[in-house]
Amino acid sequence: MAARTRLPLLFPKNLPPFRNQKLVHTEAAVKEPAYPPIVHSVTAKSKSALRQKALQHVQKICASPVEEKLSLVTRIQRKKFVVYPQSFARHADRWYQHFTKTAYIPGLPEKFTLPAGDESSPPAAVPGIEDDAFADLRSMVTRVILQEHWHIKKRKPFMYREQEQVVGPMLRNLVTGLTYSLAKHNPLFLLSSLDVNPQVNFYWRRGERIIPRGHRRGRLEPTRFQIDDHPHSQIRITQQLPQFTPLEASYAAEVPEITTAPNMMPLFRRQYDNNIFTGAKLPDPACYGHTQFHLVPDRYHRDRMARRQESDQVEVFLRANGLASLFAWTGAQAMYQGFWNHEDVTRPFVSQAVITDGQFFSFFCYQLNTVALSVETDANNPRKNLLWGTESLRLYEGVKDGEVVGLNDGVIKLLVQFLMNQP
Amino acid sequence: MPVTRLLYPLYQLGNPQLRIFRPNWFLTLVRPGREQPPDTAQFRIPMEMTKYDVKNYLEKIYNVPVGAVRTRIQFGSNKKRNHLNQKVKQPDYKVAYVQLAQGQTFTFPDIYPEKDQVVAEGSMEEMQEKFMEDEKQRQKLDPRRGGVTEWFGL
Repeated sequence: MAARTRLPLLFPKNLPPFRNQKLVHTEAAVKEPAYPPIVHSVTAKSKSALRQKALQHVQKICASPVEEKLSLVTRIQRKKFVVYPQSFARHADRWYQHFTKTAYIPGLPEKFTLPAGDESSPPAAVPGIEDDAFADLRSMVTRVILQEHWHIKKRKPFMYREQEQVVGPMLRNLVTGLTYSLAKHNPLFLLSSLDVNPQVNFYWRRGERIIPRGHRRGRLEPTRFQIDDHPHSQIRITQQLPQFTPLEASYAAEVPEITTAPNMMPLFRRQYDNNIFTGAKLPDPACYGHTQFHLVPDRYHRDRMARRQESDQVEVFLRANGLASLFAWTGAQAMYQGFWNHEDVTRPFVSQAVITDGQFFSFFCYQLNTVALSVETDANNPRKNLLWGTESLRLYEGVKDGEVVGLNDGVIKLLVQFLMNQP
Repeated sequence: MPVTRLLYPLYQLGNPQLRIFRPNWFLTLVRPGREQPPDTAQFRIPMEMTKYDVKNYLEKIYNVPVGAVRTRIQFGSNKKRNHLNQKVKQPDYKVAYVQLAQGQTFTFPDIYPEKDQVVAEGSMEEMQEKFMEDEKQRQKLDPRRGGVTEWFGL
């Protein structure tokens, strides 16, 4: 019997790799595998089976169309934290920043702050609008305020319903008037949709905890959040707004980290349908957000806050409101385009919001850079969402002898600039 | 601490009555069981006390800036049985979570810090400790026997 050459089993692996790729016919070597890849069992009672099941579920969701995707993502009902955009909690904005992975940048993005009138012509009040058109808008705003003062304030409104009954109609007049008169200058509004009193929902998962008791004790459970928002009105458009900054600019932004559980905020858990909704159903062509308008309810009116010696929380409340509402709206828009936790957004989504209590207006811009917020997708994801916001600015001082006193042109200018934003 | 003799105003007939005003309820500052945000302090308060009472109490007596107060009532267990197999109720209590204003923070102090004393050389305690260590070492089984008791073997 001839002596067989003793070659180790791992012989081909021990050989030095071919450095010169020309010698090897790699094209020929790459072949279609004859058999499907070996995967773990899904029926076995093992950890890898669980992992395999989760993986298959993710693949199934990725492969399905958007409508099915939404229903699959929101299907499992568990107890979830209900995030109220208008929250009584102190320092709610920091908590919300953590929940939504949003960095707050004081001031507005460069698009609104940089004066665009650097051409030879004298800088117009608002880019794209002549001065006489702006004067028309100004008189329209004055009319709206006077209308509120003379015709809406007929009697004392019901207790704690003043904002809703007096300022609500005024804001509606303002929004409809502005969109109507700006449609000449912004062709986007010809095809836009203005929703009055819409509903916006968003559901997402972020962070996890170990279940302390019950039959599932000791297992990891993702923390779920739901926002049910009721903006006063919102404008939806058919084209997407341009991004404020490129995606990579958000890598360096700081998001406050909160280590305590969300129910210390305090935030409460409820179980009901998980909803994701932008204010319109899926086939609606006006699927991108432009601007939302929010009303500060009486409970959080700054006079009442001052009476309760919580004046420091006025801005915090507005910021939290802008952040939560805009995150919900923009996130829902991204979901409608088929992006979700495991398929992160490929382009930033952008929305704007104006929050007002009749006199004070605050402006917020949101850029959604990521929806991969849950624990498994958040690891080494450097993207962060960005929120820009102003402090509240006073539109007018008051009404005296049928005239509006101290009408602030800067605020009207900002309003028009927000509405003139177009791709 | 040196004992100083305090001179209390002696009451004499005809003097205005001496009064001391103390609140008629007591708050207990407790260490939170769950981790709380840094601006929150936890108290056990009497059942009758309301959020507003807590706020006034802390602000007026201790000058603590109070932002918000939340209360809850903790149900004491009713599961325990005594030797006659009767149910014994642990008393309920009210818990208040006080959020401080003006950016103040509070962490519950470490009341019983761990003492790291160095035992004096040649003292009684050191000898005792050494003796205990030796005894422990002696009572340990032979590791080479792999857990088989001494009974088996010669």
